[in-house]
Amino acid sequence: MAYQYRMQKFTIIAQDPSVRSKKNDWPGGDIQPPISWAGGDEEEAILTAEVNVPAEELAPGPRGYRVQVIDYNSSTGEIYTPVEYKLLEEGKYCDPFIGEPDAMLLTNPTFHAQNVYAIVMKTLARFEFALGRRVSWSFDGHQLQVAPHAFADANAFYSKRDRALLFGYFPRRKSNSQQISGGGNGEVLAFEGHTAKMEWVFTCLSHDIVVHETTHALVDGLRERYTDPSSPDQAGFHEGFADVIALLSIFSLPGVVGRVIDLGNQAGGDSQRIALENLDAKALRKSVILGLGEEFGQELDDSVTGIRKTALRRSVEMKPPAEMVPPQPADYYTKQEEFKEPHRRGELLVAAMMNAFLRVWCERLKRLGDAPIPGANRQPARERFLDRRRVVEEGAAVAEYMITMSIRALDYTPPTDLEFCDFLSALLTGDYEIRPDDSKYNFRKTLKESFLAYGMAPTSKYGGDEEGIWEPPNHSLRYDRTRFESLTRDPDEVFRFIWENREALGLEEGAYTRVLSVRPCMRTNPDDGFVLRETVAEYYQQLNIMGDELKQYGIKTPPEMPADFTVTIYGGGSLIFDEFGRVKFHVRNRILNPERQTRRLKYLWEYGYFDPSMAADGGDFYGGRRFAEIHRKRFNIFPGMLNKRRSINGEKIENEQWA
Amino acid sequence: MAKKSKTSSGRDRTRSRNTTNGSTSAARMNRLTSKSKPSKLILRAYQVGFGDCFLLTFQYRLKANKTEERHVLIDFGSTAKPIDAPEDLMLRVAEDIQKTCKGKLHAVVATHRHKDHISGFATNDKGTAPGNIIAGCKPEVVIQPWTEDPEAKRNATKPTKVRRKVNAAFLASMGYMQAVSSSVLAEARHLRLGPNPNLFDQLKFLAEDNEGDKNLKNKSAIDNLNSMAKENFYVSFGSKSGLETILPSVKTHVLGPPTLEQSEEIKKEARKHEEFWMLQEEFWMLQADAGNGMRSDGGPLFQGFQSLYSNMRTPLHTRRFIRQLNNVRATQLLEIVRILDDAMNNTSIILLFEIGDHKLLFPGDAQIEDWNYALRDAPEKEREKIHALLEDVSLYKVGHHASLNATPHTLWDMFRRRRDKQPRGDLQTIVSTLEGQHGSQRNRSEVPRKTLVKALKKGSEYFSTQELNGDGEICKVFSIDL
Repeated sequence: MAYQYRMQKFTIIAQDPSVRSKKNDWPGGDIQPPISWAGGDEEEAILTAEVNVPAEELAPGPRGYRVQVIDYNSSTGEIYTPVEYKLLEEGKYCDPFIGEPDAMLLTNPTFHAQNVYAIVMKTLARFEFALGRRVSWSFDGHQLQVAPHAFADANAFYSKRDRALLFGYFPRRKSNSQQISGGGNGEVLAFEGHTAKMEWVFTCLSHDIVVHETTHALVDGLRERYTDPSSPDQAGFHEGFADVIALLSIFSLPGVVGRVIDLGNQAGGDSQRIALENLDAKALRKSVILGLGEEFGQELDDSVTGIRKTALRRSVEMKPPAEMVPPQPADYYTKQEEFKEPHRRGELLVAAMMNAFLRVWCERLKRLGDAPIPGANRQPARERFLDRRRVVEEGAAVAEYMITMSIRALDYTPPTDLEFCDFLSALLTGDYEIRPDDSKYNFRKTLKESFLAYGMAPTSKYGGDEEGIWEPPNHSLRYDRTRFESLTRDPDEVFRFIWENREALGLEEGAYTRVLSVRPCMRTNPDDGFVLRETVAEYYQQLNIMGDELKQYGIKTPPEMPADFTVTIYGGGSLIFDEFGRVKFHVRNRILNPERQTRRLKYLWEYGYFDPSMAADGGDFYGGRRFAEIHRKRFNIFPGMLNKRRSINGEKIENEQWA
Repeated sequence: MAKKSKTSSGRDRTRSRNTTNGSTSAARMNRLTSKSKPSKLILRAYQVGFGDCFLLTFQYRLKANKTEERHVLIDFGSTAKPIDAPEDLMLRVAEDIQKTCKGKLHAVVATHRHKDHISGFATNDKGTAPGNIIAGCKPEVVIQPWTEDPEAKRNATKPTKVRRKVNAAFLASMGYMQAVSSSVLAEARHLRLGPNPNLFDQLKFLAEDNEGDKNLKNKSAIDNLNSMAKENFYVSFGSKSGLETILPSVKTHVLGPPTLEQSEEIKKEARKHEEFWMLQEEFWMLQADAGNGMRSDGGPLFQGFQSLYSNMRTPLHTRRFIRQLNNVRATQLLEIVRILDDAMNNTSIILLFEIGDHKLLFPGDAQIEDWNYALRDAPEKEREKIHALLEDVSLYKVGHHASLNATPHTLWDMFRRRRDKQPRGDLQTIVSTLEGQHGSQRNRSEVPRKTLVKALKKGSEYFSTQELNGDGEICKVFSIDL
């Protein structure tokens, strides 16, 4: 019997087809060069990489156990030939795209199919590693369908209703056209009899876009209530979190990182060394900003397409308020009206996370030794250099760790009405549980400081083992009527536990309560191999209640809301059980929390979310296509149509319509 | 002979154009003075199906029992005729207009560029199309919204002031949006119907209405409007209407559309809005490129890799997904054309004719956003004057064929001549519409909107062109003594 490989390598585009390198400048490492360079040393080629994904039996598509690529184009009504892999003698699939020239990669839809498949699977694998278990999609079904050329549109999104990731394509603007190697006028290339006009930008070939959309799908699977209308933070969390994962995923590719780290900085250096002057947080931030602009390809500038690349750049540019001129209070951004919009709100999260990332990276670099010029005396500080490869590796390692940390934090977040401060406490708790000693790299300390700089303090005021982490439950719970073994897998058993302990857990007895998931997991500390076994159970509560009934709970309704107006309010909690079935943490939002619900109702009323025409089937606010809707609604055009659903002069537009 | 065109600010610019001998019309124009007063208004509401066409005839009594008539045509278009109407309905309407005005129109108002308001102005090479007949009536002036002013587009590209950049970007966006609409139609043909069969019909209806000059017939209508008269007026809120000399003693107030500068938000945050409108322009340009690319390519996206299957005989595991994706795409396209449709409606001219005690309101398809400036955002004194006029409206041509969002509640509540407000209320409302073409009852967006029609019937003397028999009755005539 042939050896059963657990991992399979596939070629992908490292970042974007517009990110290229000359033969002499080829980064090396995990970035594969083309097999042949027809144009000599000055020729440029697209940076590709090989990624490892879990090996599986693939049907043509490729179609695997979690991802099905169906290459249907709804704008033209065509289906493209699916990629079909040849099995090699040793049991691996043959990757037909290793070292292939750009013309092949760009004009061959089967490569595009492989690209999305591999990146989606890689992202899924990252989540499963971080969480220590399998991760389900949010819809009924095991396979996410992916259409790499879904439509002729500058858009890409996750659709729960359609169980799919959909990637658009659009023409390259003429001013940005590039000569493609092997091409005549750069417009039409011939490759083995296949021709295509080389004027298209394919979002499915942009690494960070694929990661971003996949992250939406995965977060939706882990926290399905995060698409409920709630607060600006919750609305922005999906976008911000997906941006964080996308951005850190790029930084975990050393070949790409190496290109950006000293962009725009004047200090000397060469292909082997980087000047120390370029390696403080400020300098790194500057080069990252420039690098993001260059690396992400101008065609996919988010301001136009809604595919948030400028948002990434803008997030990194967003200075902590104390550093502004003049300095501003820490809550400066959250008080701005524009930061109530989901994309902008999400940028705040990205800013806090990315600034923490840069600071940790710099801290690690300080501990590296110099790379002196051979034969020379020790240079003054301003002329000191570090080995470029080590700098890049450190950046990639920090990025990789932060991805894991961020994903793991999801298990420690409340399942409803998330705020960024909750996420910070979750980050700190999740990391503390697996790696109590933070002294080596100060990840948690740096994250806390970075979030605080943007006016976000951890929700938890617990000052026990470590500041900011969730407090263990301080009430006694009954365990004698529940079965430990069932508690690790059975939602009914978990519900029984919740019901038995409803008073101690602070649940509202009259509310509809449902256990959303029970997930046993096993996480490993990368530093010492320490294994942490936990079971994460998620429940939520829902109440339909009239406006005037809320008063008795101390919840204030907007003044314009009629007394008999029925609203739906949510609450819920994540129960984290230890390996003995004892509750370690109960991370919750109480359904009748007066402060939180008052804030929520005010925000939702002001932004028209209670308009019946906004709600779709099954309680899902936009009918499962929320992410497409959010992108599109930014482009209503006409004075007064800006933020159409907001109040104008205190009166809502909806009141003017004939309902 | 040079022709004049005027912007809403009244500056003259000359454009070279061939004209015919205007001496007869000049003589006619000179029989009235600025003090002449109309004694009667005859309003003809034509049955054009889903569209608008109104001919206003102002009668002026001269000495020796003679009368002078001034004819103003407001819109002439349709996207769907009644089932029982003849095929040449629009031609018959044009001929009736020609006959009624005795071959001489004085003004044409095209409230906005939607097909259901301008299709009748389309021409053909033989000179036999309805638009040829209207052009043959040699109107003195054609009035359109400021967004149609070719000079505005040219001037707006000169550096460097924010307002000019914003206007340029806005106008460019409108152009790209129409290109998008055109490509939407082309793409929609590829879509195989998903679970919602109405989706395609809605898409087709809206996309056709918004094609603008990307559709040849629409282009001929637009060209005809720009060339049929001696003067072209491009109006905006508060500007001259262009009817000042044509209709003596009739005050014609332009209540919309507002310019971008008139938007309160623009005034507050000019720099932010410059960025916003630049982004709008780029976004719609990108959308238009995607659509154009599809059509101009001709062949498949990846030659040599295209479909191995035809119609629905695709591999089994793909069929559900293909239906879903078609539905997704149709929904996306529908949203795009709805945005476009709303934007175009909101470029509608809103005209209020004030003649003595009578005030006639013709808002085209203006929606809430178009009305906002007049109702809320105009400076206080100006707003008070406008509100006083609106309160006294005696005839209201219902906006956008009685859809749910073109008769703001604020506006309807202002009308004090409603008969549900006072026993002697004499408000007349007129709707030009056709059921079953636009919107749906399921999501309460059907046109005409049931709840609005109920309120109109309760509060006014209500008339709908649907009451006209398409074959026999070409229009309803309202005669108003002034």
